Amino acid sequence: MKKNCEAAVHSVGGAAVIELTGEVDGGAAGVLNEAYEQAVTSGEPGTVVLDFAQVGYINSTGIALIVSVLARARAERRKVVASGLSEHYREIFDITRLSDFIEVFGDLGAAVSQLAGPAA
Amino acid sequence: MTSVARSAPRRLAAFAVPSEPGNERLALARVAEAVAASGLAPARLERLKTAVAEATMNAIEHGNGGRPEIPVDVEVIQEGDDIIVAITDLGGEHEPAGPVEEPDLGLKLDGEQRARGWGLFLIRNMVDGMQVRTDGPRHTIQLTMRAGGVTPVPRDGDLEGGGHEEEL
Repeated sequence: MKKNCEAAVHSVGGAAVIELTGEVDGGAAGVLNEAYEQAVTSGEPGTVVLDFAQVGYINSTGIALIVSVLARARAERRKVVASGLSEHYREIFDITRLSDFIEVFGDLGAAVSQLAGPAA
Repeated sequence: MTSVARSAPRRLAAFAVPSEPGNERLALARVAEAVAASGLAPARLERLKTAVAEATMNAIEHGNGGRPEIPVDVEVIQEGDDIIVAITDLGGEHEPAGPVEEPDLGLKLDGEQRARGWGLFLIRNMVDGMQVRTDGPRHTIQLTMRAGGVTPVPRDGDLEGGGHEEEL
């Protein structure tokens, strides 16, 4: 049974977190784009975290959507990181080289604590 | 001199799905069910599922033009250690999944390649072998995945693959 993509956006420190649930495929375009828009207009974050912990399926069209988000973020000089990917999708991030451009963390907590970083 | 017996091909499943977006999920679930007893390691099963989904999506979109009345045929065979999944549409000769151009993420991020075009690349990188053949309108992409390890031998009356198998 298909689970449509949904997104929840919130801020943690200087980062915007987009928690995705469901399936990241062609049907996720509107949700992902709107979530990114909401994320970057509420506080001008330097980093956008894409959390995939509740995502069960990503297909090639979903990969293309992630590429589009990354391209836009880079143009806006924002960093994109990912968390919660399964081993399989982490491998796909490696094969497609997305992991060369998107730092991947095991879970959202690890991503957030890394972003908070040590005090300067 | 020793000889190695090679077990006869066995059909684990054969089914069709209507050419409607989203039915690639149905195909991957049926294939996963069919190969459940084949000895495929979980990580390799995930790879096969991704390849099946991408190939089926391509058959639906590029082969059958998204017309639900035209089915995509899926056949799953085990031949020795090989799991073979054949996915057939009626679109004649066409590229298996979008452009032949190899996707390059750097070019895509620079806007010099379109963001899409990952389907064939993913299929090739997920499975051990991929063959494409066209016979008139029938266009088939055949995926091969080696199960690895020992192939389970069915006992008498013990059907593997959800009872869909038959010897070919």
